[in-house]
Amino acid sequence: MTIHNLYIFDRNGSCLYYNEWNRRKQAGISKEELQEFKLMYGMLFSIRSFVSKMSPVDKEGFLSFQTSKYRLHYYETPSGLRFVLNTDLSVSNARDTLQHIYSNLYVEYVVKNPVCVPSHSLDSELFSGRLDAFIRALPYYSPRAA
Amino acid sequence: MSRQSNRTTDSKKMNSELFTLTYGALVTQLCKDYENDEEVNKQLDKMGYNIGVRLIEDFLSRSNIGRCQDFRETADVIAKIAFKMYLGITPSVTNWSPAGDEFSLILENNPLVDFVELPDNHSTLIYSNLLCGVLRGALEMDTLRGDNVTEIRLKFIKRIEENIPAGDE
Amino acid sequence: MADEAPFQFLHNELIQYIYKSAENVEAENGRNITKLENMGFRIGQGLIERLTKNTARFKDELDIMKFICKDFWTSVFKKQIDNLRTNHQGIYVLQDNNFRLLGQLSAGKQYLEQAPKYLAFTCGLVRGALSNLGVKSIVTAEVSIMPACKFQVMIQKM
Repeated sequence: MTIHNLYIFDRNGSCLYYNEWNRRKQAGISKEELQEFKLMYGMLFSIRSFVSKMSPVDKEGFLSFQTSKYRLHYYETPSGLRFVLNTDLSVSNARDTLQHIYSNLYVEYVVKNPVCVPSHSLDSELFSGRLDAFIRALPYYSPRAA
Repeated sequence: MSRQSNRTTDSKKMNSELFTLTYGALVTQLCKDYENDEEVNKQLDKMGYNIGVRLIEDFLSRSNIGRCQDFRETADVIAKIAFKMYLGITPSVTNWSPAGDEFSLILENNPLVDFVELPDNHSTLIYSNLLCGVLRGALEMDTLRGDNVTEIRLKFIKRIEENIPAGDE
Repeated sequence: MADEAPFQFLHNELIQYIYKSAENVEAENGRNITKLENMGFRIGQGLIERLTKNTARFKDELDIMKFICKDFWTSVFKKQIDNLRTNHQGIYVLQDNNFRLLGQLSAGKQYLEQAPKYLAFTCGLVRGALSNLGVKSIVTAEVSIMPACKFQVMIQKM
C-alpha cells in the first residue's frame, strides 16, 4: 500500500502544489515538471468533460481511474480547485483523504495564510509540513521496500 | 485569584463586535484617505472581493455543499447558509427579475452598522459595500449596487467557463 | 457571527490596504505600524467597554492584567494567554504560545519578517483596553518562532 504523489490545480489549470512520496519512476515525459503538470491537467480536463457527457444522469462525475499498477483519485471543489492523488491499487477510495486535505489543510494553511496569494504556487512550509505529516500518518501510507 | 463574577460574556457576540468595530475603523480610515465617497466604495468593494475569494473556500469546506444547479439555489445558499454562518443573520431573498437572473437580499438587521451613524457629508457612501465585494468575490460574478445599505442586488452576468490553458502543444 | 474567519480575513485586508497605500515601503513601515496600532487602540477601547459592563471593580494593576490575559484574550482570540510575567515595576510580559493571528502564517521562522505587521493591531487592542481601565501603557510585540509571541506591556506612571 502506498501513495505516489499529489497535485493541486486551480480552476485555470495552474499547478499550485506538487509533492511526491513513493514514486520510483519519473514519467519520462520531459525533464521539466511543468510539462508533466500540463499533460496531467489536460488529461483530467478531457476525461472529466467526456465522463460528464457520457453520464446518464447529472451526478458526481469523474472520481477515479485505475490502471494495472496505480489508481488516480480526483476531487474537485465547487470553486474549481482540483486535488489529484495517485496511489497503488490497494487504496480503493481516497475521497475522504482529499476532502481532508482541502478542508483542514488547504483552507486552514493556504487560504487563511495572508502571505499566500490565491492562484500562485505554494511555498508555505507550514502547509507542506502539515500535509507531509498527514500523508505519512495515513493507514495506507507505507512505502514497501522495493 | 480568578475573578469569577457574573461575567457571562457571549463570545459569539464579542466576535461579532470585534468584526463590526474593526470594519468601522477601516471605513473611517478610508474616508480619511479618500476625498470622495465613490473612491471609498470602490476600495470597499475591492477589499470585499479579496475576502470573498478566500471566504468561499472556507465556506465550501465547512458546509460541504456541492455545486449549485441554478441561480435560485445559489440565492438560497447565500441567504440561508452563508449569511447565517458568518453574520448570524438570514436576509430575505426577494425581487426576482422575470428572467430569474437578478434578485435582492434584504438585510433586516445588518450587523455591520450596529454602532454607526453616518455623518451628513457622506451621503453617497455605501457603508456596507464590502459585502457586495465579498459576494462578488465568492461568486466570481458581478453584483449590482443596491439602493440602500441593506439591500444587495445580485445579477448573474455569466458563468465562468473553465478552459484548458493554451499549452505549447 | 459563527467564528473568527471573517475577522481574520478583514484583519488581513486591513493590513494589505495600509501597506499598499504606502509609497515607500521601507520608510513607511514605521508609520504603517503606527496606523494599525492606532486602529487597534480604538477598537480595544470599545471592546473592553462592552466586556467590563457587569464586572466588579479591579483591585489593582495585576488584577487588570489578569483580566486582559483571561477574559479579554479569550473573547478576542478564543484562548487565554499562556504565561504572564512581571517584574513588579510596571513591566508585564504576556506570552501566547499559539497566537491566533500567526497560526496560519508559519510554524517556525518562514515569513518572520512579515510578522510585525500582524501584531501591531493587537498591540493597539491591548493598549486601548488598558487605557479604558485607567492604565496608560506602551505595548510592543516580539516573535522569534511562530506562532508563539510575546507582548510586552510597559505601564506609564501618570
